[in-house]
Amino acid sequence: MKQDRQSRRTAAWPDAARMTARAVTALFGGYASASALASLLARLLPGPPAEASAWGMILSFLIFACLALWAFHERRLILVAGVLWGSALLAGGAVLLLGTRA
Amino acid sequence: MNVRQSFPDRPAPAPARALRQSMAWIHAWLGLLAGWILFAMFLTGTASYFRPEITQWMQPELRSASVPAEQAAQAAIGHLQATTPGDQQWFIYLPDDRTAVTRVFARAKPNPEKPPARRPEMKLDPATGQPLEARDTRGGEHFYRFHFQLQLPHPWGRWLAGVCAIFMLTAIISGVITHKRIFVDFFTLRWSKGQRSWLDAHNASAVLALPFHAMITYTGLITLVAMYMPWPVKANFDKPDAFTTAAYGAPAEAKASGNPAPLLPVTPMIEAAAREWNGDRPRTIVIRNPNDAAATVTLLRATAGRLNARPDSITFSGVTGKELSRSPSPGPAIATAGVMLGLHLGHFAGPALRWVYFFMGLTGAAMVGTGLVLWVVKRRKPNAAPFFGLKLVERLNIGAIACLPTGMAAYLLANRLIPADLPGRAELEVKAMFWTWFGLAILSLLRPARRAWIETLGLAAIAFAALPVVNALTTDRGLIGSLRAGDGLFAGFDLAMLAIAALCGFAALKASAKPKPPKQKAAPSHRPSASVSKPAKVRENADAL
Repeated sequence: MKQDRQSRRTAAWPDAARMTARAVTALFGGYASASALASLLARLLPGPPAEASAWGMILSFLIFACLALWAFHERRLILVAGVLWGSALLAGGAVLLLGTRA
Repeated sequence: MNVRQSFPDRPAPAPARALRQSMAWIHAWLGLLAGWILFAMFLTGTASYFRPEITQWMQPELRSASVPAEQAAQAAIGHLQATTPGDQQWFIYLPDDRTAVTRVFARAKPNPEKPPARRPEMKLDPATGQPLEARDTRGGEHFYRFHFQLQLPHPWGRWLAGVCAIFMLTAIISGVITHKRIFVDFFTLRWSKGQRSWLDAHNASAVLALPFHAMITYTGLITLVAMYMPWPVKANFDKPDAFTTAAYGAPAEAKASGNPAPLLPVTPMIEAAAREWNGDRPRTIVIRNPNDAAATVTLLRATAGRLNARPDSITFSGVTGKELSRSPSPGPAIATAGVMLGLHLGHFAGPALRWVYFFMGLTGAAMVGTGLVLWVVKRRKPNAAPFFGLKLVERLNIGAIACLPTGMAAYLLANRLIPADLPGRAELEVKAMFWTWFGLAILSLLRPARRAWIETLGLAAIAFAALPVVNALTTDRGLIGSLRAGDGLFAGFDLAMLAIAALCGFAALKASAKPKPPKQKAAPSHRPSASVSKPAKVRENADAL
């Protein structure tokens, strides 16, 4: 316990940096990932494109909220950053490759 | 709860407890960071459920007279024909049972040589179409706009409001996960027990109206979804206009032909539309290229009484009277979005449901406010000097929670006290709100925190109680006269101000009551954490917040 506290004091800055990185990843990475996933959903859903886009828009905020909360729950920052930014890149890339429908 | 101690280096407990712990941690910080703005958004948004009524109260010169839509439309067109017959577009906003006047806005033909001066919106007498003179004010529109634009330049206010809304959404989800005994605490409110009471009040106001808070937050995000989340549209459409057309129908954008042709009366068109709309009348009429062979008349359906806030529309030829196009019947997703918009705006609600909305909105403000107070109370150590962050949060709490109501009252008071014909008075009213709000927040720094709470809340009570008095002294529509004349709007407004004054006074009284020492009779697990062992403290944190 005592050693713990000591190491924490010396490692105060990395902790703050990690927390900043986590918050930035949750807010911006979460938004990027939610945008990309909602867009991919909109692009892949069958039926009229306008309907699919509307479903994507409606669900996007729920996706964002869940991703952001998970970003603060999961202890491994590297995993958080990998999943959020990675899914944003993958889903966003897929949307770009697929192209628009109308 | 210290951030660094409880977050990154915490030991790994059982999964369910770990989830509640991390959710409690993020809930406290999300609520804190967005709380002050959210409180202001809740309070002004709640007031906005009475936007037309506030506007009517702020123009006491005008009295509403109920006029059929057909008559109001024809009277307004008569005025526009007499003044600006050669315009490109006329917008006519018809009165309903909550608005007293017809509003018109005319857009001149584009002139490449000399861009025309921006014409102001005009108020017309619904019965005669004659322009009405009333004091210049932003009315209820000011609270409504502030609620999502925060008086910041476009688009920053809307983005900030959106960030606060997503914080709110995540705070609601994490709050529910944290709060495992949701139904027990529903019935639990222990007064005068210090921190425990604040937690109970926070839980009661949150749980009581949880479905409303979750709904209003999510639908609030949906109101500006096209701005916050345009990407799913871009994924399917090259041009955003194509999405709008597919979802809501093509807008009437015909060019003028240059051949003059008389504009048909709109009454038959309104009647034809009403047959399609189960008898509903239009709320808005857009006439493009009036007195031209290519004239079109677009009627937008009134949304009062309908859950979907996206109005149906029908476009007629202004020369032949034939229907040219109509909005498509929406698919499930577009309809869902429209209903979400409608649930947020509450235009569909009748008077009784509107009051329910109002009180639910107040519980939202109460939930955010008690949460902010709880943040301070929870971290305050007895017999220890408060650290800087604690003092900062407490001062911001006073500034946001106790000073904003006085600012809102000042806005309404300024409406009665600034001379009715003073140029630029509408901006002065708005300035009165912000100078009072922020000025009072700064002044309150001069007082000890507890005194500052009591005095600012007391001032809010006085300011709201002064409104009916000032109204009676400066207009001929005082409370007694309104009650005698059966003027429900003015009498109701004055009575509501007195009720709000009583509420603020009650809060000031509660703030001035000596808090009982929390040690007495408090359950052992909720004792202030001075000498509690670490595991017990962790448990308390996980359960309490």
